[in-house]
Amino acid sequence: MRNFKARVILLILTLCIWYLLTYPFDSQELIAGGITALVIILLPLPGIGILGDFRWTPKAFIFGFVYLFYFLWQLLKANIDVAFRVLHPKLPIEPGIVRVKTRLKTPLGRLLLANSITLTPGTITVESDGEDFYVHWIKVEGIHDKERTKKIVTGFEGFLEVICG
Amino acid sequence: MIKRFLAIIALLGAAAVLLPFVLKLPTEEALPGLASEYIENAPGELGAANLVTGIIVTYRGLDTLGEVAVLFAATAAVGLLLKRTGNEGGVSHWRASEILESGGGFLFPLIILYGVYIFLHGHLTPGGGFQGGVVIATGFLLLLLSGSVNSFNHTVMSLVESFSGFAYVAVALAGLIWAAGFLDPRFLPQGDFGRLFSAGAIPVIYSLIGLKVGAELIGILDAMRCKVRREGVTA
Repeated sequence: MRNFKARVILLILTLCIWYLLTYPFDSQELIAGGITALVIILLPLPGIGILGDFRWTPKAFIFGFVYLFYFLWQLLKANIDVAFRVLHPKLPIEPGIVRVKTRLKTPLGRLLLANSITLTPGTITVESDGEDFYVHWIKVEGIHDKERTKKIVTGFEGFLEVICG
Repeated sequence: MIKRFLAIIALLGAAAVLLPFVLKLPTEEALPGLASEYIENAPGELGAANLVTGIIVTYRGLDTLGEVAVLFAATAAVGLLLKRTGNEGGVSHWRASEILESGGGFLFPLIILYGVYIFLHGHLTPGGGFQGGVVIATGFLLLLLSGSVNSFNHTVMSLVESFSGFAYVAVALAGLIWAAGFLDPRFLPQGDFGRLFSAGAIPVIYSLIGLKVGAELIGILDAMRCKVRREGVTA
Protein backbone atom coordinates (compact mmCIF):
# COMPACT_ATOMS: atom_id res chain seq x y z
CA MET A 1 0.00 0.00 0.00
CA ARG A 2 2.78 2.41 0.93
CA ASN A 3 4.53 1.49 -2.31
CA PHE A 4 1.41 2.03 -4.41
CA LYS A 5 0.83 5.43 -2.79
CA ALA A 6 4.46 6.30 -3.41
CA ARG A 7 4.09 5.54 -7.10
CA VAL A 8 0.92 7.60 -7.42
CA ILE A 9 2.71 10.55 -5.79
CA LEU A 10 5.67 9.98 -8.09
CA LEU A 11 3.38 10.04 -11.14
CA ILE A 12 1.94 13.41 -10.11
CA LEU A 13 5.42 14.74 -9.32
CA THR A 14 6.96 13.63 -12.63
CA LEU A 15 4.04 15.08 -14.61
CA CYS A 16 4.40 18.43 -12.80
CA ILE A 17 8.16 18.52 -13.42
CA TRP A 18 7.68 17.60 -17.09
CA TYR A 19 5.13 20.38 -17.43
CA LEU A 20 7.54 22.89 -15.90
CA LEU A 21 10.39 21.69 -18.14
CA THR A 22 8.29 21.97 -21.30
CA TYR A 23 6.31 25.10 -20.41
CA PRO A 24 4.32 26.56 -22.22
CA PHE A 25 1.59 23.95 -22.63
CA ASP A 26 1.75 21.79 -25.77
CA SER A 27 -0.42 18.74 -26.40
CA GLN A 28 2.46 16.77 -27.97
CA GLU A 29 4.61 17.42 -24.91
CA LEU A 30 1.79 16.22 -22.71
CA ILE A 31 1.58 12.92 -24.60
CA ALA A 32 5.34 12.37 -24.44
CA GLY A 33 5.45 13.35 -20.78
CA GLY A 34 2.57 11.08 -19.89
CA ILE A 35 4.21 8.09 -21.56
CA THR A 36 7.56 8.86 -19.94
CA ALA A 37 6.00 9.23 -16.49
CA LEU A 38 4.06 5.96 -16.87
CA VAL A 39 7.20 4.10 -17.93
CA ILE A 40 9.17 5.57 -15.03
CA ILE A 41 6.67 4.62 -12.35
CA LEU A 42 6.58 1.05 -13.70
CA LEU A 43 10.37 0.67 -13.42
CA PRO A 44 11.74 -1.14 -10.39
CA LEU A 45 12.66 1.83 -8.23
CA PRO A 46 14.62 0.96 -5.11
CA GLY A 47 13.85 3.24 -2.21
CA ILE A 48 10.90 5.04 -3.81
CA GLY A 49 8.74 3.87 -0.92
CA ILE A 50 9.75 6.93 1.11
CA LEU A 51 7.35 9.05 -0.94
CA GLY A 52 4.58 6.96 0.61
CA ASP A 53 5.36 8.60 3.95
CA PHE A 54 3.48 11.74 2.89
CA ARG A 55 0.15 11.95 4.65
CA TRP A 56 -3.02 12.44 2.65
CA THR A 57 -4.80 14.58 5.23
CA PRO A 58 -5.92 18.19 4.69
CA LYS A 59 -3.97 19.17 7.80
CA ALA A 60 -0.79 17.74 6.31
CA PHE A 61 -1.32 19.72 3.09
CA ILE A 62 -1.87 22.96 4.98
CA PHE A 63 1.18 22.33 7.15
CA GLY A 64 3.22 21.53 4.05
CA PHE A 65 2.19 24.83 2.48
CA VAL A 66 2.93 26.81 5.64
CA TYR A 67 6.23 24.97 6.01
CA LEU A 68 7.46 26.45 2.73
CA PHE A 69 7.07 29.96 4.14
CA TYR A 70 8.39 28.99 7.55
CA PHE A 71 11.48 27.49 5.89
CA LEU A 72 12.01 30.57 3.70
CA TRP A 73 11.76 32.77 6.80
CA GLN A 74 14.36 30.64 8.63
CA LEU A 75 16.54 30.76 5.52
CA LEU A 76 16.38 34.55 5.44
CA LYS A 77 17.15 34.87 9.16
CA ALA A 78 20.08 32.46 8.94
CA ASN A 79 21.48 34.25 5.89
CA ILE A 80 21.44 37.60 7.68
CA ASP A 81 22.99 36.02 10.76
CA VAL A 82 25.84 34.41 8.84
CA ALA A 83 26.42 37.57 6.78
CA PHE A 84 26.63 39.53 10.04
CA ARG A 85 29.21 37.10 11.46
CA VAL A 86 31.30 37.22 8.31
CA LEU A 87 31.31 41.02 8.09
CA HIS A 88 31.83 41.60 11.82
CA PRO A 89 35.44 42.71 12.45
CA LYS A 90 35.83 40.31 15.40
CA LEU A 91 34.45 37.34 13.39
CA PRO A 92 32.25 35.94 16.19
CA ILE A 93 32.23 32.30 15.16
CA GLU A 94 32.78 29.20 17.24
CA PRO A 95 32.45 26.27 14.88
CA GLY A 96 31.93 22.74 16.04
CA ILE A 97 29.96 19.58 15.47
CA VAL A 98 27.03 18.91 17.79
CA ARG A 99 24.72 15.96 18.20
CA VAL A 100 20.99 16.53 18.03
CA LYS A 101 18.10 14.12 18.33
CA THR A 102 15.00 13.98 16.17
CA ARG A 103 11.58 12.63 17.05
CA LEU A 104 10.80 11.90 13.39
CA LYS A 105 10.41 8.21 12.62
CA THR A 106 9.97 8.04 8.84
CA PRO A 107 12.90 8.15 6.37
CA LEU A 108 11.18 10.93 4.38
CA GLY A 109 10.77 13.09 7.46
CA ARG A 110 14.43 12.65 8.37
CA LEU A 111 15.48 13.36 4.80
CA LEU A 112 13.51 16.61 4.75
CA LEU A 113 14.77 17.60 8.18
CA ALA A 114 18.43 16.93 7.35
CA ASN A 115 18.17 18.88 4.11
CA SER A 116 16.33 21.75 5.80
CA ILE A 117 19.13 21.97 8.34
CA THR A 118 21.77 21.86 5.61
CA LEU A 119 20.05 24.47 3.43
CA THR A 120 19.88 27.02 6.22
CA PRO A 121 23.27 28.76 6.31
CA GLY A 122 25.35 28.13 9.40
CA THR A 123 24.29 24.53 9.96
CA ILE A 124 25.18 21.45 7.94
CA THR A 125 24.08 17.89 8.64
CA VAL A 126 27.25 15.88 8.24
CA GLU A 127 26.12 12.44 9.39
CA SER A 128 23.06 10.67 10.65
CA ASP A 129 22.75 7.58 12.75
CA GLY A 130 19.19 6.56 13.48
CA GLU A 131 17.60 9.37 15.44
CA ASP A 132 20.93 11.14 16.02
CA PHE A 133 22.04 13.85 13.62
CA TYR A 134 25.56 15.27 13.72
CA VAL A 135 25.38 18.91 12.71
CA HIS A 136 28.23 21.27 11.98
CA TRP A 137 27.31 24.62 13.51
CA ILE A 138 29.00 27.95 12.84
CA LYS A 139 28.39 29.18 16.39
CA VAL A 140 27.92 26.40 18.88
CA GLU A 141 25.46 27.38 21.61
CA GLY A 142 24.09 25.63 24.66
CA ILE A 143 25.68 22.96 26.78
CA HIS A 144 23.46 19.91 26.47
CA ASP A 145 22.24 18.07 23.40
CA LYS A 146 18.71 18.95 24.46
CA GLU A 147 19.23 22.71 24.24
CA ARG A 148 20.97 22.40 20.90
CA THR A 149 18.24 20.12 19.59
CA LYS A 150 15.70 22.77 20.58
CA LYS A 151 17.62 25.48 18.74
CA ILE A 152 18.31 23.59 15.52
CA VAL A 153 15.68 20.91 15.09
CA THR A 154 12.47 21.60 16.99
CA GLY A 155 11.15 24.37 14.72
CA PHE A 156 11.31 22.28 11.55
CA GLU A 157 10.28 19.13 13.34
CA GLY A 158 6.93 20.52 14.46
CA PHE A 159 5.85 20.91 10.83
CA LEU A 160 7.48 17.77 9.46
CA GLU A 161 5.87 15.63 12.14
CA VAL A 162 2.45 16.56 10.78
CA ILE A 163 3.45 16.30 7.11
CA CYS A 164 5.09 12.88 7.20
CA GLY A 165 5.54 11.67 10.77
CA MET B 1 67.15 29.31 -11.02
CA ILE B 2 68.81 27.91 -14.12
CA LYS B 3 65.72 25.75 -14.61
CA ARG B 4 63.43 28.75 -14.67
CA PHE B 5 65.77 30.56 -17.04
CA LEU B 6 65.73 27.62 -19.44
CA ALA B 7 61.96 27.45 -19.22
CA ILE B 8 61.66 31.13 -20.16
CA ILE B 9 64.03 30.63 -23.07
CA ALA B 10 62.00 27.66 -24.25
CA LEU B 11 58.76 29.64 -24.03
CA LEU B 12 60.27 32.56 -25.98
CA GLY B 13 61.49 30.10 -28.61
CA ALA B 14 58.03 28.59 -28.95
CA ALA B 15 56.53 32.07 -29.24
CA ALA B 16 59.01 33.00 -31.95
CA VAL B 17 58.14 29.88 -33.93
CA LEU B 18 54.38 30.38 -33.64
CA LEU B 19 54.23 34.18 -34.10
CA PRO B 20 54.43 34.14 -37.92
CA PHE B 21 51.41 31.81 -38.07
CA VAL B 22 49.40 34.12 -35.84
CA LEU B 23 50.31 37.16 -37.93
CA LYS B 24 49.37 35.40 -41.15
CA LEU B 25 46.11 34.06 -39.72
CA PRO B 26 43.39 34.87 -42.26
CA THR B 27 40.29 36.56 -40.93
CA GLU B 28 37.12 34.90 -42.16
CA GLU B 29 34.71 37.40 -43.65
CA ALA B 30 32.08 34.79 -44.45
CA LEU B 31 31.40 31.16 -43.54
CA PRO B 32 33.36 28.62 -45.56
CA GLY B 33 31.46 26.76 -48.28
CA LEU B 34 30.25 23.67 -46.46
CA ALA B 35 29.21 25.56 -43.32
CA SER B 36 27.16 28.12 -45.20
CA GLU B 37 25.60 25.31 -47.22
CA TYR B 38 24.52 23.60 -44.00
CA ILE B 39 23.16 26.79 -42.47
CA GLU B 40 21.18 27.79 -45.54
CA ASN B 41 19.67 24.41 -46.29
CA ALA B 42 19.42 22.50 -43.02
CA PRO B 43 16.44 24.27 -41.39
CA GLY B 44 14.29 23.87 -44.51
CA GLU B 45 15.42 20.35 -45.35
CA LEU B 46 15.36 18.84 -41.87
CA GLY B 47 12.90 20.96 -39.89
CA ALA B 48 15.07 20.71 -36.77
CA ALA B 49 15.00 23.82 -34.57
CA ASN B 50 18.42 22.90 -33.16
CA LEU B 51 20.66 23.21 -36.20
CA VAL B 52 23.62 21.52 -34.49
CA THR B 53 21.61 18.38 -33.81
CA GLY B 54 20.28 18.40 -37.36
CA ILE B 55 23.80 18.41 -38.74
CA ILE B 56 25.18 15.86 -36.27
CA VAL B 57 22.41 13.32 -36.77
CA THR B 58 21.96 13.61 -40.53
CA TYR B 59 24.75 15.12 -42.63
CA ARG B 60 27.35 13.95 -40.13
CA GLY B 61 25.25 10.95 -39.11
CA LEU B 62 27.92 8.42 -40.03
CA ASP B 63 30.30 10.13 -37.57
CA THR B 64 27.69 9.81 -34.86
CA LEU B 65 27.16 6.15 -35.66
CA GLY B 66 30.93 5.77 -35.42
CA GLU B 67 31.01 7.55 -32.07
CA VAL B 68 28.40 5.17 -30.71
CA ALA B 69 30.51 2.28 -31.99
CA VAL B 70 33.63 3.75 -30.33
CA LEU B 71 31.76 4.07 -27.06
CA PHE B 72 30.61 0.48 -27.39
CA ALA B 73 34.18 -0.69 -27.96
CA ALA B 74 35.37 1.31 -24.95
CA THR B 75 32.67 -0.20 -22.77
CA ALA B 76 33.53 -3.70 -23.94
CA ALA B 77 37.22 -3.08 -23.19
CA VAL B 78 36.52 -1.68 -19.73
CA GLY B 79 34.19 -4.56 -18.98
CA LEU B 80 36.84 -7.03 -20.08
CA LEU B 81 39.65 -5.43 -18.06
CA LEU B 82 37.63 -5.00 -14.90
CA LYS B 83 35.79 -8.28 -15.22
CA ARG B 84 34.52 -9.77 -12.02
CA THR B 85 36.55 -12.82 -11.07
CA GLY B 86 35.36 -15.32 -8.51
CA ASN B 87 32.15 -14.56 -6.64
CA GLU B 88 32.85 -11.53 -4.55
CA GLY B 89 29.38 -10.12 -5.16
CA GLY B 90 26.95 -10.07 -2.29
CA VAL B 91 27.08 -7.94 0.80
CA SER B 92 28.36 -4.41 0.64
CA HIS B 93 31.32 -3.58 2.86
CA TRP B 94 30.10 -0.17 3.90
CA ARG B 95 26.76 1.37 4.53
CA ALA B 96 25.72 4.79 3.32
CA SER B 97 23.91 6.97 5.82
CA GLU B 98 20.16 6.81 5.88
CA ILE B 99 19.88 10.33 4.47
CA LEU B 100 21.95 9.47 1.38
CA GLU B 101 20.02 6.28 0.85
CA SER B 102 16.57 7.86 1.00
CA GLY B 103 17.74 10.92 -0.93
CA GLY B 104 19.15 8.70 -3.69
CA GLY B 105 15.94 6.71 -3.91
CA PHE B 106 13.92 9.91 -4.17
CA LEU B 107 16.12 11.57 -6.80
CA PHE B 108 16.64 8.52 -9.03
CA PRO B 109 13.31 8.66 -10.94
CA LEU B 110 13.61 12.43 -11.33
CA ILE B 111 17.09 12.09 -12.82
CA ILE B 112 15.77 9.50 -15.27
CA LEU B 113 12.95 11.88 -16.19
CA TYR B 114 15.43 14.68 -16.82
CA GLY B 115 17.63 12.44 -18.96
CA VAL B 116 14.63 11.41 -21.06
CA TYR B 117 13.65 15.07 -21.38
CA ILE B 118 17.12 15.94 -22.66
CA PHE B 119 17.29 13.25 -25.32
CA LEU B 120 13.68 13.69 -26.47
CA HIS B 121 14.29 17.41 -27.03
CA GLY B 122 17.65 17.05 -28.76
CA HIS B 123 16.26 18.50 -31.97
CA LEU B 124 14.75 21.53 -30.19
CA THR B 125 17.11 22.55 -27.40
CA PRO B 126 20.80 22.08 -26.61
CA GLY B 127 21.50 18.51 -25.58
CA GLY B 128 20.65 15.19 -27.15
CA GLY B 129 21.26 11.49 -26.98
CA PHE B 130 24.77 11.51 -25.55
CA GLN B 131 24.02 14.09 -22.88
CA GLY B 132 20.71 12.48 -21.93
CA GLY B 133 22.35 9.06 -21.70
CA VAL B 134 25.03 10.40 -19.39
CA VAL B 135 22.42 12.04 -17.16
CA ILE B 136 20.56 8.73 -16.91
CA ALA B 137 23.78 6.93 -16.01
CA THR B 138 24.41 9.43 -13.18
CA GLY B 139 21.10 8.38 -11.68
CA PHE B 140 22.32 4.79 -11.56
CA LEU B 141 25.64 5.96 -10.12
CA LEU B 142 23.71 7.67 -7.33
CA LEU B 143 21.95 4.38 -6.57
CA LEU B 144 25.29 2.58 -6.40
CA LEU B 145 26.81 5.23 -4.11
CA SER B 146 23.83 5.29 -1.80
CA GLY B 147 23.98 1.52 -1.47
CA SER B 148 20.32 0.96 -2.41
CA VAL B 149 21.37 -1.57 -5.02
CA ASN B 150 24.40 -3.83 -5.21
CA SER B 151 24.44 -4.55 -8.92
CA PHE B 152 22.34 -4.04 -12.02
CA ASN B 153 20.57 -6.62 -14.09
CA HIS B 154 23.03 -7.36 -16.90
CA THR B 155 20.44 -9.08 -19.07
CA VAL B 156 18.17 -6.03 -19.12
CA MET B 157 21.09 -3.66 -19.70
CA SER B 158 22.47 -5.60 -22.64
CA LEU B 159 18.95 -6.04 -24.04
CA VAL B 160 18.38 -2.29 -23.96
CA GLU B 161 21.80 -1.66 -25.46
CA SER B 162 21.50 -4.23 -28.24
CA PHE B 163 17.95 -3.22 -29.08
CA SER B 164 18.74 0.48 -29.34
CA GLY B 165 21.87 -0.15 -31.37
CA PHE B 166 19.97 -2.42 -33.73
CA ALA B 167 17.05 0.00 -34.01
CA TYR B 168 19.44 2.89 -34.74
CA VAL B 169 20.83 1.03 -37.75
CA ALA B 170 17.30 -0.05 -38.75
CA VAL B 171 16.16 3.60 -38.76
CA ALA B 172 19.22 4.50 -40.79
CA LEU B 173 18.35 1.78 -43.33
CA ALA B 174 14.73 2.97 -43.44
CA GLY B 175 16.15 6.29 -44.63
CA LEU B 176 17.93 4.43 -47.40
CA ILE B 177 14.70 2.78 -48.53
CA TRP B 178 12.05 5.51 -48.09
CA ALA B 179 14.16 8.67 -48.30
CA ALA B 180 17.26 9.95 -50.02
CA GLY B 181 19.88 7.78 -48.33
CA PHE B 182 21.41 6.09 -45.31
CA LEU B 183 20.54 8.00 -42.10
CA ASP B 184 18.16 10.34 -43.93
CA PRO B 185 15.47 11.15 -41.32
CA ARG B 186 12.93 12.51 -43.78
CA PHE B 187 10.94 9.31 -44.20
CA LEU B 188 8.85 10.49 -41.23
CA PRO B 189 6.76 13.68 -41.61
CA GLN B 190 8.48 16.98 -40.85
CA GLY B 191 5.79 18.22 -38.48
CA ASP B 192 5.52 21.81 -37.25
CA PHE B 193 8.88 23.50 -36.90
CA GLY B 194 9.89 23.76 -33.23
CA ARG B 195 7.34 21.34 -31.78
CA LEU B 196 8.15 17.99 -30.23
CA PHE B 197 7.01 15.73 -33.09
CA SER B 198 9.01 17.36 -35.84
CA ALA B 199 12.23 16.97 -37.80
CA GLY B 200 11.37 13.52 -39.14
CA ALA B 201 13.23 10.67 -37.47
CA ILE B 202 15.80 12.85 -35.67
CA PRO B 203 14.14 12.55 -32.23
CA VAL B 204 13.76 8.80 -32.75
CA ILE B 205 17.45 8.44 -33.57
CA TYR B 206 18.49 10.60 -30.63
CA SER B 207 16.25 8.70 -28.23
CA LEU B 208 17.83 5.43 -29.33
CA ILE B 209 21.31 6.94 -28.93
CA GLY B 210 20.30 8.15 -25.47
CA LEU B 211 19.20 4.68 -24.38
CA LYS B 212 22.31 3.08 -25.84
CA VAL B 213 24.74 5.55 -24.28
CA GLY B 214 22.94 5.27 -20.95
CA ALA B 215 23.08 1.47 -20.94
CA GLU B 216 26.75 1.47 -21.97
CA LEU B 217 27.82 3.90 -19.25
CA ILE B 218 25.86 1.96 -16.65
CA GLY B 219 27.81 -1.12 -17.76
CA ILE B 220 31.08 0.76 -17.17
CA LEU B 221 29.92 1.91 -13.72
CA ASP B 222 28.97 -1.63 -12.83
CA ALA B 223 32.34 -3.00 -13.95
CA MET B 224 34.18 -0.37 -11.91
CA ARG B 225 32.08 -1.11 -8.85
CA CYS B 226 33.21 -4.73 -8.93
CA LYS B 227 36.83 -3.66 -9.26
CA VAL B 228 36.64 -1.28 -6.31
CA ARG B 229 35.03 -3.88 -4.15
CA ARG B 230 37.66 -6.48 -4.98
CA GLU B 231 40.46 -4.10 -4.03
CA GLY B 232 38.60 -3.31 -0.83
CA VAL B 233 38.62 -6.99 0.04
CA THR B 234 42.30 -7.59 -0.57
CA ALA B 235 43.56 -4.39 1.03
